[in-house]
This record gives sequence, structure tokens and C-alpha cells, in this order.
Amino acid sequence: MRAFFSRRENLAPNYIILGLLCLFALAPIAILVFNSLKSNLEIGQNSITFPREVIWTNYPEAWVQGKFSVTMTNSAIFVGGTVTSVIVLGGLAAYALARLNPRGSGIYMIYMLTLSTIPFWLYAVPLFILWKNLALLNTRAGLVIIYTALNSPFAIFLLRSFMVKFPADLEDAARVDGAKEWQVLTRIVLPIMWPSLLTVALVVALGVWGEFQIALIFMQQDEKMPITTSYFNFMRRFSRDWSLTSAGAVMMILPVLIIFMLLQRRFVEGLTQGGLK
Amino acid sequence: MAVRSAAALAPSRRVVDKLRTRRELLAWIFIAPITIIHLVVVVGPGLSGLYFSMTDWSGIGKAEFVGLSNFVDLFTRDVNFRAAFRHNLFWMAFFLTVPMVMALLAASLLSQIRRGAFLIRSFFYMPYVLPSIVSAFTWSMLLNPSLGVGATLDKWGIKGLDHPWLGDFRTALASIAFADNWHWWGFLSILFLTAMQAIPVDLYDAAKIDGANRWQQFRNVTLPGIRPTILFMLLMTAIWSFLSFDYVWILTQGGPAGSSELVSTHLYKQAFLRFEAGYAAAIGMTVSLMAACIVGSFALLRSRGWEI
Amino acid sequence: MIRKSLLSSLLMLIISLTLVVAGCAAAAPTAEVVAEGPVEITVWMGQTETSDCLVAESVDTFNAKQDEVFVNVQRKATTDSLRPALAAGAGPDVVQLGGPVFAVELALAGQLLPLDEYAAEFGWAELFHDWAFSIGQVEGQLYSLPQELETLVLFYNKTVFEEMGWEPPTNLDEMRELAQVVQDAGLIPFAGQSSECSICNEWYVGEFFNQVASPDLVYQALTGEVPFNHPDFVTAIEIHNEMMQAGYYMGSLERFQAATFSEFTTAFATGEAVMNMEGTWFYGRQDEYFGDEFEHGNDWDWVPNPSLDGTPIFAIGLGGTQSINASSAHPREAAMYLSHYFSPEIQGALAATCSYGAAPVRGVAEFMEGVDPRMQAIFAAMNEAFEQGIYGYTLWTFFPPKTDLFLYEELEKVWSGQMTAEEYLTLANEVFQEEFAAGEVPPTPAR
Repeated sequence: MRAFFSRRENLAPNYIILGLLCLFALAPIAILVFNSLKSNLEIGQNSITFPREVIWTNYPEAWVQGKFSVTMTNSAIFVGGTVTSVIVLGGLAAYALARLNPRGSGIYMIYMLTLSTIPFWLYAVPLFILWKNLALLNTRAGLVIIYTALNSPFAIFLLRSFMVKFPADLEDAARVDGAKEWQVLTRIVLPIMWPSLLTVALVVALGVWGEFQIALIFMQQDEKMPITTSYFNFMRRFSRDWSLTSAGAVMMILPVLIIFMLLQRRFVEGLTQGGLK
Repeated sequence: MAVRSAAALAPSRRVVDKLRTRRELLAWIFIAPITIIHLVVVVGPGLSGLYFSMTDWSGIGKAEFVGLSNFVDLFTRDVNFRAAFRHNLFWMAFFLTVPMVMALLAASLLSQIRRGAFLIRSFFYMPYVLPSIVSAFTWSMLLNPSLGVGATLDKWGIKGLDHPWLGDFRTALASIAFADNWHWWGFLSILFLTAMQAIPVDLYDAAKIDGANRWQQFRNVTLPGIRPTILFMLLMTAIWSFLSFDYVWILTQGGPAGSSELVSTHLYKQAFLRFEAGYAAAIGMTVSLMAACIVGSFALLRSRGWEI
Repeated sequence: MIRKSLLSSLLMLIISLTLVVAGCAAAAPTAEVVAEGPVEITVWMGQTETSDCLVAESVDTFNAKQDEVFVNVQRKATTDSLRPALAAGAGPDVVQLGGPVFAVELALAGQLLPLDEYAAEFGWAELFHDWAFSIGQVEGQLYSLPQELETLVLFYNKTVFEEMGWEPPTNLDEMRELAQVVQDAGLIPFAGQSSECSICNEWYVGEFFNQVASPDLVYQALTGEVPFNHPDFVTAIEIHNEMMQAGYYMGSLERFQAATFSEFTTAFATGEAVMNMEGTWFYGRQDEYFGDEFEHGNDWDWVPNPSLDGTPIFAIGLGGTQSINASSAHPREAAMYLSHYFSPEIQGALAATCSYGAAPVRGVAEFMEGVDPRMQAIFAAMNEAFEQGIYGYTLWTFFPPKTDLFLYEELEKVWSGQMTAEEYLTLANEVFQEEFAAGEVPPTPAR
């Protein structure tokens, strides 16, 4: 790869455009962080620039008022449960569709994609009644199952399309060498799929972490509410407390940001490890 | 190799068939668990939605069968649905173009550099990490004419941007799309970048030997190389555009004067504010049908040999 | 062999998943076995700071004073989950709704419990003002109790008015003349918004209906005698629209539609905008914008919303209602809690401590100590007007849900010029007549 990027090429325009795009991406987040350190009064006068007076107490106050210790734990459970089941169950399905070529797999994909377009509000009430009868209402497992179902079409489709891109030669070779089917899956397919599994896991995790509409309906007990509901704790009757809202928002995105940053490295490693060179 | 193995297995056709059946069985066993969950959560309740779309159900209590009259009302009387549908078409057109172009540009520029690439990539991804309620509320502040970016720029001498973007029925929908795109294009560029890195370097080398400039390399090597990813994301965008809800709901709730109403917010209002769950179901069915058409045409392309 | 191990691991996976599901299913009902101790009932409350105060003043005091019933409060960000919960035969024991109009629909669907038995036992008919008690009736039975009595008035920035030598208007013409004077002086006549709360457009529709077309006409329309596209209603909407087009609200229609609550309240406090047509709930947040600690040094006062002929008209508004879930296992305990909640002591405490509107119950005035005298004056004037029958009707209390939704949403199309006032009201009337025919209009207090 290195050979391709010879020094002769002028990369200055690249950096200028990329820099502007970075500014566009980051400025709103920076403003959000600034506002999380201001008083409400200062946000009312200056809601963009660095705070004149830094108020750190917004954070502990938002932490308590938002009940983040409870909601963050819950959301971690929802994310963990959903990611695991989507990766395991969706991954199996994707593998089967891409490698075992069953008859009807094309129709199956159409089925998955079409039905994922049914707006949630359309079947929210019937699903609610079903969940009550299955005693899944107000349970973490119940919510994880819903999230799994809603996230799986995208995951299956993405994983499958990643998988079909890789020739099956490696796997066939391993089989010829006498590897068992299970070993093919764990030793050959998983390492190759590692980056795309990570991508899917990230997308699903972010979706679940930020979801609130379904949780607000299917969870009816305070101690099981997800982190997004903390965000509603800073509302007044018609307006909201912008200082605490911003501080709460930063606390909400911080864990995700950290995990994402950590995984980014492995994401890149995975790309190179995955036999791509 | 193919010849050899065919020759080796030739004597027993039955074994091949048996292997094939077992392979097929195994495939469906792999597919079954997630499908069962999907059937229980989406298809079952969705089918009852199909029934409710032909009733006058309020969301509570008894539902009376009214045949297709909900659909008739929807297509003949509901001017707000028609407007919402037009807005959805705009929304889809916006997201099929603007973020795609931005992401392709960013990804191709990013794929050419090494120094700082990791950092820049992280920055691009960052907005996507924000939950929709956080980024939508942040943008509601940024777009405010007297507190937001426009007002601050105005103070610094850059005039004309302190427009009430969300308060003007001419600019509301586009402003929301802008805010939604802010969190979306960066993620898209990372997907494209990942796909671009899978393109063999030899292809670029060959193109360069042929004297191709950057644009020609992009057109003739990069674009074809990531075509499956682009097509896949176009398809997903088209489907998702019908389901978009969060940003509009948080920023304007469809206003002002219905100028940013999408089909999904219209549906929500019918079900939860007007208590017309049956009618809302009819809207949902219509949306799904349209999405099915998109998926169908996509499948048609695939069967014609497009590799997706 | 290979297949076997694969299959068995898959089987294990499915079994464990089933167990997880079944485990949760089994875990749920065991909680009910606890028979000893107080009966537990569930109440849903909002997540705002005001609700914190409401919980402390009403629920906590109830739990503390007796050990028969324990009220378990669940805090809710939105009310979206209520309808599905009721439809599934679940949900809280005490059902809180946005107003009597919403109780009608649920009562007709059989989701609420008739309260007449408990009303007799706990003396609710005597507790509430007659007009308020009657609103909760559907087809002759009581289904809801009204809470948070509110009305709309015209708040004005007293300090700026005094500096400029302006007098608060006493009738509609004076108000429009004054608005022009204010605008000519480079200030904004009215603070307001529709971006954070487009529902709040219903304030204006209701006030202009009452103040211009008269409460009598609104009454006749609500009882089906007069259509809502009556010329007087059209005039009311046209006058409001003219004021909107003139930029009297926040300087321009676009800014009005982009403004937030804190923005417009700040504008009102600093004197950038000098009047604010709002409800008594303004009291709940005024201390965040007015007071000695603020540089602007301004103060506010109020007058009744100016009507066409100058008669002070106060519109009746109710911030919500409380009912009992039809599927409640402990309705009597829920009624005991309601009796506590609506007692004058508690309602007075809600007003004094939480800056929350008291319910329309008798004898609450003596518990209002500590409430701002200006607010006490509003409540006194309002109650007197109610006693004399000179009251108007707010949309969220008396107009059925679809009509209400149509009126506040589509009003913006009149502002944007997509509809005339007459077209708007003709369509609104169609929506109303449908709901009226379906019996979904709650009893309108007679005049």
C-alpha cells in the first residue's frame, strides 16, 4: 500500500477539506461540552463559545437528578444482551445464508428487509399486549428480545454481504486439510469476519444505547429504565434546564465514546488481520 | 480441482444429494433462532396491524371492521398525508445524495493519506456516537436564531445566518435534514473507507501506469470497487428514510404549519394524539408496501446479475 | 460427528434462551404472594422538578400518615405507555390524564372505573366546586376528578410599562392600539413561542374565541347549537392572525415559531417583549427570571385578558384529571389516596410549596399562605368570575381531542397563508361535529 502513496502527490487539498469536515463534525460536540459547564443564565446569553465561568457542579447535579447510576447500568445490560444475541444469532443466520446457500435465501432476505420497514408504531400496541401475556413486560429480557428482532435484519444483511465478498477458498482448503466444520467457523470465518462483526456490534450498541421510544413503552418501572430516560429528568413543564441537559448529554456519550475509541484500534487491527493484505 | 473432485465423487450421486440436504438443513437450523424472534416481535404483531388497518380501532377497546375505508380516506381525503409523503420523498432524495457525496468525498480523501488518518477517522465517526435525542436537542440550540450559531456569527460580523431555520415553514424540513445528516455522513464515510481499503492496490497501480489522474482513478477503480457497499447503503437509506422519526419529532414535531411532517410523525399523531390506531395502521401498511416495492426492485436488480 | 456437536451446541443455545425467557416469565407473578403489610397501589407521575415536589407533598405525606395503603410512584417521561398499558389491562391504579376530554374517551372504552360509590363514601361532591365536579361525568356517571385549576391572563412587564407611561389594556381595541405603540417604540408587544410546544397554540385559539366571540358562543358551539365556522369565530381568528402577521408576537412569525420557553420568558423579563398572554402556570417559573438577583430589575403584573367589550373573562382550564383504572385490584385504596390528594390542605400545599395550581376544591384558599399575592389575586378574581358564571372555555379542558389537535396544529397554516381563517374553521367544525355525534364531548358547564 505504501508504494501507492508516493511523495509526489500533493496531499494539501486533502488535509484542508478533511479539516473542514472535522470542524463540521466536532464543533457541535465542543459546543455541547462548553454548555455543560455554563449556568443556565450564561447559556441564555451565550450558547456557543467557551464558558466565562466554568461550573463543574453541573455534572454531579445532573448525575444525581438524572439517576444515571441506575439508568447507565440498565442501558449497559440492554446493550450487552442485544449485541450478544444479534452477533451470535444474526451471525449464524448470515453464515448460513452466505456459505451454505440454502434454497430460498433470496426470498428470505427480501422477507427480512421488507418487514423491517413496518413502522414500529404500527404494531406497538399488539406487541405490548403480547408481551404482557408472555409476562415479558417490564423485564430486561423482554426488551432485549425486541431490540434483537429490530436490529437483526440490518446485521444479517451486512454480515452476509461482507461474507460473500470473501472467496470461500480458505474455508474449502481447510476442509480439504481435514478441519471440522466447527473449526472452519472459529478458526477461519471468525477471524475474517472480526472487523465486520465489530462494525455490526458498534452499530447495534449505539442504536440500543440511544433508543428511548420502545423502552418508554415497554418498561414501566423506574429501576429498569435506560439511560435515555435520564435525559427527560431535566425537563420542566414546557422547557428544559439546558445546563443539566448538556451535562447529562456529555455523560451519556462519554462511555460510548471511550469504548468506541478503544475499539477503533482493534477495528483497524482486525482489518489488517483479516487476511486482507 | 473441480474436475478431480467431480471425478472422485461421481460414483455416488446419492451421497452428494444427501450431503446437500444435510447442508441445507443445517443452514435453516442456523437461520431459525433469529427468525423465530423476528416472527414473534415483528411479523405476528405486524399481521394484527394489517387487520387493525381495516378497522376503526382507537387503540383501546373494541375494533369494528370497516373494510378498506381507512385506505380510501388516506388517499382521497387526507391532505396532510399527501404533504407528509411529499416531504418523505424530499427526505429520501436528500439522504440518497448529500450524505453519499460527502461520505464518498471524505472517504476517498481519507484513503489517500496516512498521517493523522486514524484521528480524522475517529472525528468523523464521533457524531454518529451521539444518541439522536442528544444531537437533535443540540441542534435545536444551534439553529436558534437568537442563541445559536447564526446569532453568534452575526455578532462576529458574519451576517445573514441568524434566520429562524426551524420556525420558517420554507426552511424547517431542510434544516432538520441538515441536522440529521450531521450525525450520519461521517459513519457512512467510515463504511465506504473500510470498503475502499479492501480494493487491491494493484488496480490503482495499473491505473496509474495507464496515466489516470485522481478523478479517473476514483471513477474507474474506487467506485466500481465499493459498488456493493454503495448499493447496499443506498437501499438501506431508502428504507430508513420512511422510518425517520426522532429528529423531526424532537426539533419541530412536524411543524410549523405541517411543513416538516413526515409519514412517520403523521402516523404517530394519528395513533397517539387522535386515537385512530386503525387509521394509523393503514398508514403504516401503505409505507411498508412502498418500502417493499423498493426492496423488490432491488431484488430484481440482483437477479439480473448485479453483485450486491 | 461434526454436525452432531454443532447441533448440540445450537440446541444448548436455544434451550438457554428459552430458559431466560421462561425465567423472566416465572419471576413476574411471585411478587404478588406477599399478603401481609400495606396494600400497594401504583401512581404514575412526570419526571420534572415540579413532579418531585408533587410527590413529596402528596404521595409521601399519604404514605407517612397511614399504614394501610402504600403508594408506589413510577416516574414517566411521556404518557405514551399509558394507552397500551390500559389496553393490555395493566397500568397504574390511579390514571392521570391531560384533562376531562381524555377521560371521556377512555371511559367510553371501559378502561376507567365509575367513581360514584367512592364519591358518596368520601364526600367528593361536597369537596369540589359544582361546575368542576360535573365535568368528570360521562353518561351520568363520574369517571374523573379535576386537578390543577388554571386560567389565562395578560401578564405585562410593569417596570417597562411605568417607564414608558403605558397603561395595561382593558379591552381588545386598546390592546391592539398599545401593541402598535410598543412596536413603534422598538419593543416587541408580545412574548411567545410555538417551537417547544406547538400545543400551546391552543392558548391563543381559546382566548380569542372567548374574548372576541364571547364565551356564550363557545358554549353554544360546544353544545352543537352553533357551528365553529360562525362569523364571530372567524373574526376572532382573523384578529389574532393580523396581530401575528404584524409581527406583534416575538417580532415576526418565524421567530415566534422558532422561540423556546426560556427565550421568550427571558425576553419578557428583560423588557425586550412587554406582554405575555399566558396561563397561571407562568407562576411555576417566574422566579427563575424575575427577582432581586437579576440585573434588569424588572417586575411583572397582570390584568384579565382584554375582551371585545372589556368584560373580564376568565377561561376555565384544568391541568389534568385523576381516575381509577378499571383493572385496578385495589380501587378503594386508590380512592383513599385520591381523597387525600384532593384535600384542601394538600392542594394548598401544592400551590404554596410547588407553585402548582390547586384543584377546584372548596376551602383551599385558607391554605394558600405563602403564595405570591399577585397569584392569589388571580385565583380570587377567577373564582369570583366562576361563581358568577362569567367564565370562558379552554381548548384542552372542553374541546374533544381531535378538534383540539386540529385547532392548534392547523392554526399555523392560517399564519403561513395556506388557509384562510374561514377554511380553517370550516374544517375544524367538520372534525368537531364527528366527535360531537360520537358523544366524545364532555359535559360543558351550563351558563
